This record gives sequence, structure tokens and C-alpha cells, in this order.
Amino acid sequence: MRVPADRLKLAAALLILVAAHFVLRPRFAASRFAPDLVLVALLFLAIRTRPAVGAVAGFVVGLLTDAVVPTTFGAGAFALTIIGFAAGWLKAVVFADNLLVNALIVFAASWLRDVLQVAASNQLRGGALGLQLLVLSPAAALSTAVAALVALFVLRGWLAAAPSR
Amino acid sequence: MTIGTERYGSRADTAVFAVCLVLSLLILALPQALRLPLASALRRTVLLPVVTLERQAAFSREERQDVLALRAQRDSLALAAALLPALEAENDQLRALLRLGARVGSGYVDAEVLHQTGLSDGLTLLLSAGRREGVEPLAPVVAPAGLVGAILSVDAHTSVAMAWSHPDFRVSAMVEDGRIFGVVAARRGEAAGEVMELRGIAYRDSLPVGTPVVTSGLGGIFPRGVPIGTVQGALSETGGWERTYLLKPAVHPAEASHVMVLRLERAADTLTADFDTLPAPADSGPRP
Repeated sequence: MRVPADRLKLAAALLILVAAHFVLRPRFAASRFAPDLVLVALLFLAIRTRPAVGAVAGFVVGLLTDAVVPTTFGAGAFALTIIGFAAGWLKAVVFADNLLVNALIVFAASWLRDVLQVAASNQLRGGALGLQLLVLSPAAALSTAVAALVALFVLRGWLAAAPSR
Repeated sequence: MTIGTERYGSRADTAVFAVCLVLSLLILALPQALRLPLASALRRTVLLPVVTLERQAAFSREERQDVLALRAQRDSLALAAALLPALEAENDQLRALLRLGARVGSGYVDAEVLHQTGLSDGLTLLLSAGRREGVEPLAPVVAPAGLVGAILSVDAHTSVAMAWSHPDFRVSAMVEDGRIFGVVAARRGEAAGEVMELRGIAYRDSLPVGTPVVTSGLGGIFPRGVPIGTVQGALSETGGWERTYLLKPAVHPAEASHVMVLRLERAADTLTADFDTLPAPADSGPRP
């Protein structure tokens, strides 16, 4: 079976993003605000495929990221399933050919992921919850959105070709 | 970016989404005893390449920092050589550092903290040492400044530590010369890793601000004398029977980058002198 070239390019771009996530993030001094390139890869995949693919990919990615912080095992899968499905569904209503619109979607998705994960894990309350959702999460979402912009620019040749199904 | 205009959000998509959502909720509802082995199996198999990649990146960062530190030390020594009176003081400091390492001696494993971007970073920490390196479940995790947490689960080359900032973490603590005991936990509602509480202090006992609090050694997990934090002030007086104090932690887990995992065989030891927090007792060996 022949795999279309644009799908191979997309897969390669996503692999690069995932590898960069694990190679670059430990080098950030402030790891709390380091960009989440795995989330960026998930969003890039989700908005280029069907919502079901986004949901399944979100579930799998969430489960794997949960495995390194097992006290909230399942919370990431729950949050990213919703994010993946929503990003795939957004494809029908958002004609995002604009870099800033893409950055806005990544920012919103990153922040919403944190909100869902906090709700599902139920580990933060009061001031800590406010600090996380109003300060730390937006800051991390901002760095993720900037990283998504850079990735879109650098990998534009590979990401431009969007598999329809 | 090309965005298609096909009809999306069909019933099949919604059904797949619902299945994934229900599965994730089922996993969330699993008891801890099932979640930990499942997570451990994922780390040992699917995640092994990325955890290895991340560990190598952390080592690389550490090596770069070592080079920078060595360069700084070389510069300092060059300056000290030019200023002979300062050289003696510099030597004293280096000797003190060497003594600190020698005091802890054996019975510990060095580990890198592989920080994650998730919300739980600072509550649980992924460490770069595991069973092969001698890490055991429940083993205490300490940094040069004091207590970080305890090991929650162990894989072959990695382990997960529950930091003191985790809502479920408790450690028996004592102050001054061991006459006053209490239990330390993270303060709920505060930023993770920012403050902790010392609970269960008898009403008759009053602790001045700045009093160091260390592990008591009770419970058979944490050695006696590991710094936990210092008293910042009284919080409440429950029913006139006990007091709760606010503590400034010795270590912020989210900022820890390099830790020591103590072996459980050291649980009976007294490490007060190792951390230079309290005056060393006459007998700092294993307690009876």
C-alpha cells in the first residue's frame, strides 16, 4: 500500500516536534513555562484529520504523558481527548490559514487542557488553583503558542499539505 | 495551512470520542494500586525511548552547567591566586564542601529530576535513577538543603517521587532538640511547593519564628535530622489543645534539579550533622 507523500511529510513533522519536546524541554531553566510541543503536534494532527482521529490521538498522548506523573493517571487522557476532538471539529468551522489564528487556537487549547486536567485531577484548591490557572497556565500556554508559530514557520513546507481524511 | 471543508463531526466521530472519554474516566477512577503498575508498564515499554532521550538531555544540560561551574571556579581560583589572603578562605570553603559529601558517605543514589510540563510537576517528580541504581519504593528523597519527598514507584532506570508538596504527603517532624514533635504536610490552597504546615504541636509549646524543623525519624522511612523548613509563624490554635505553624520549606520541589535518594537501610540513622541545620548530638550514629 502506498502512503501519500503529504501524509509522510506530516508524520515526519509531528515526529520532529515530539522528539524536540523531550530533547529541548530539559534545557529550559523554567520548566513550568516550557512549551508543550507534544500538545502542538497533537493539535497539528487533529486539525488536519477527522475529529475521531483527534480524539483517539488525544487519548493516547494523554495516557502516555500521564504515565510520567501517575498520581493523576487518566486526567491528561481525559483533557486531551476533549482537546483533540474539539480541534478536529474546529476544522469544520475555522478556516485557519492565518498564523495568529493558529497561535490563538494553540493558546486556548493549552489553557483549556490545564483547566480540564486540574478539574479531573482535583489536586489544587484555593490560591494554588488561582495561581495555576490565572498565571502559570497562561504563561505556559503563551510559550506553547509561540513555539507553535515557530514550528509552523520552520515546518511550513511539510505542514502545508493537509491530508483530508 | 490548508483546512478542508468536508463534513466533519459525524456520528462515528462522536461515538469514537465518547468511547475515548469513557475510557479516560474509567482510568481516572482506577485505584492507585492499579494505576501505578499501569503507568510503570507504559514507562518501561512505549515511553522508554522518550524517557531515555529526556534523561540524556538532562545529562547534557548538567554537563554544560558543570563546564560553566568549572570555568567559574577556575576564574575564582585565578583571582584567589592573585589575592593570596583570600586563597586560604577559598580553600576552607572547598574543604567544607568536600566534608559535606564525606559526611553523608554511602547509602544513597544520585538522581536527576526530569521535570515535566504537566500540572503535577512539583507534586510528583520523575527521577533518572531506578531499581538498577538501587532505588527502592518509599525511599526518602533529599536535596542538599533538605527534604524533597519519598519514592512512590520504581522502574528499572527511572522512579517517581512524591514531593512533600503533594496533598497526600506527611512526615513526622521535630524541632530543636527533639522535645517537640508534630506532623508536616503541604498547606492546601497555597501554591505547590511554597509553604507547609506543622500540625499537632501541643498548646503549651510555643515555637519562635525561625525555628528549624527537621524529620523526627519516627515511622521507619525518613532518617532523623533531615531539614524540612523553618517556622514562619502560628496559624491556628485548634480548640485550645494544639497549635499549627506555618513553615518556610527548605527545598522547593519544582526547583529541585539534582537529588539524593537515600536507601531505606539509613532510616535509623541521624543525619542532623550532615545537613548543618542543628547542633550535632553527641551520638549521631544509628538510634537504638
